[in-house]
Amino acid sequence: MIGRARLRYQIMNYSLLSLLAVVILFPIYYMVIISLKLPRDIYRKPSLLPINPTLRNYRDLLVRDEFLINILNSLIVAGLATLISVAISSMAAYSLVRLKYRFRTTIGRLILLAYLTPSALLFIPLSVIIAQMRLGNTLHGLIFVYLTFAAPLSTWLLMGFFRGIPFDLEEQAMVDGATRVQAMVYILLPLSAPGLIAVSVFTFTGAWNELLLALIFITSPDKQTVPVALQYLITGDVFRWGLIMAGSVVAALPVMVVYYLAQRFVVQGLAAGAVKG
Amino acid sequence: MAEHVLTEGRRRARRASGRLNREQSWLGYALVLPVLMCLLLLVFYPFVFAIWISFTDRMVGRPGRFVGFANFAYLFGQASFQATVRNTIVLVGSVQVLKLVFGLGIAVLLNQPIRGRSFWRALVLLPWAMPAFVAYLTWKLLYAPQGGAFNMIVLGLGLSNTHIDFLSTRAWAMPSVVVATFWRGFPFWVISFLAAMQNISTEMYEAAAIDGAGAWQRFRHITLPSIRHVILVVVLLSTIWTTNGFENIWLMTQGGPSDTTMTFPVLAYFGMQSLRLGEAAAVSVAMLPIFAMLVLIVAKLLQED
Repeated sequence: MIGRARLRYQIMNYSLLSLLAVVILFPIYYMVIISLKLPRDIYRKPSLLPINPTLRNYRDLLVRDEFLINILNSLIVAGLATLISVAISSMAAYSLVRLKYRFRTTIGRLILLAYLTPSALLFIPLSVIIAQMRLGNTLHGLIFVYLTFAAPLSTWLLMGFFRGIPFDLEEQAMVDGATRVQAMVYILLPLSAPGLIAVSVFTFTGAWNELLLALIFITSPDKQTVPVALQYLITGDVFRWGLIMAGSVVAALPVMVVYYLAQRFVVQGLAAGAVKG
Repeated sequence: MAEHVLTEGRRRARRASGRLNREQSWLGYALVLPVLMCLLLLVFYPFVFAIWISFTDRMVGRPGRFVGFANFAYLFGQASFQATVRNTIVLVGSVQVLKLVFGLGIAVLLNQPIRGRSFWRALVLLPWAMPAFVAYLTWKLLYAPQGGAFNMIVLGLGLSNTHIDFLSTRAWAMPSVVVATFWRGFPFWVISFLAAMQNISTEMYEAAAIDGAGAWQRFRHITLPSIRHVILVVVLLSTIWTTNGFENIWLMTQGGPSDTTMTFPVLAYFGMQSLRLGEAAAVSVAMLPIFAMLVLIVAKLLQED
């Protein structure tokens, strides 16, 4: 009896899981097979299967210098935004967690509020400020603007990670004659490596995926990042779906690879209630 | 004598700790300064500035003057703004209910003793690990009347004899946007709930099972109360982000057909494109009261952790 009930239960579990897998994988599967089709096959021979697969779309996309420049722009912007953000945020998080001074709780609260403030609320005044600073349509302007979401997120997350590492080790090093900064650089930071990785992943992917601010601040094609370039492909009259999906695959691949390599840390960070969804 | 030594020692200690405190605060402020400057310039100043702009008739390239509540009065009378308020309630409301129900359900499913749990967890993360713009471009393709998978399925199964233009039909546009937004957003909920469920001790479940509690009762009386706090934080955080989502609407419908899927960020973006910054800022500022309330509650909850 019990055996049969358990079997039924197992069958139900695995059927539900299979259904879940189909729901998750089908859109991704369709994105990939359309990226392998030419327009005539997409429109004249509609099919859910990859008939006449070809890499033409990828070739067309990657021989266009513009798209390679878009990828380079995205790499520069996301890479530098991550570096700067992680550097200044580690300093801030260290200060807020390890040092005692008058306004540190207030500053901590401000950082949390900044992290919760969505850029959809800020893009109009930011556009005026960026224009006044003459940073419009530049990559360094975009990097600067990306600190609006990167710096508070990184600081908030790193505060959580630093708090989880006992102060004793740093204290010991300081008793042995290390300065505070040395204790931070040689003891705290290496011990927080998983946290630093998670924060870097979140910041990098956040900047790599960002559309709204890039759409507003970048006006010339040679400065466009990948999301902006791809969204211009769908504003035409005829959608070249094969090309658009090839671009999507190329744009998604690096981010997803990074996610899977850092999955353990990502889930940890996520569990800290950290990231947009 | 002994007393004297004691106070002397105490005084010395106090002096040393004063020096330490001064050093700590000096270093503390120095280290936090770069982030603080960024936030003052890029978040707090723009925030106040947005409120100021919404009370002026500012245009791009023209400073504008104070006009009181004129922008808000104009906006509240606009059909597109009223549609935006309605759409936001419908979109966020239905997406969040779906995410809550399925998020809990899938988390419970993944919390069972199933084989290859880490594989399934990785699979669930997929939609969320994808860039949002890629996910929504893909869903736009899935919905497309020509070349879209859903039309192929609908026609193939004989559910309809004509192509359905999901994203350009008044009746279909909002449900289609809801489904796509749900697909992209639910992993965050599942993973957060699952992490919280794994902290519940198995003894509680065993004890309940001995007392004869069924699966539903165990969920209702053990699982739910134990992860109540996480549910609240996730619901609130995600509500802030979903309300301010731009990519889903911009890439799939641009607010159409005739404003049936218009939301605050997209309306503000269109306002900015028409160069009327005062009115555009008023769109964002109009949702500020609700947004501020949500943020203050989440901030309080997160700081309690």
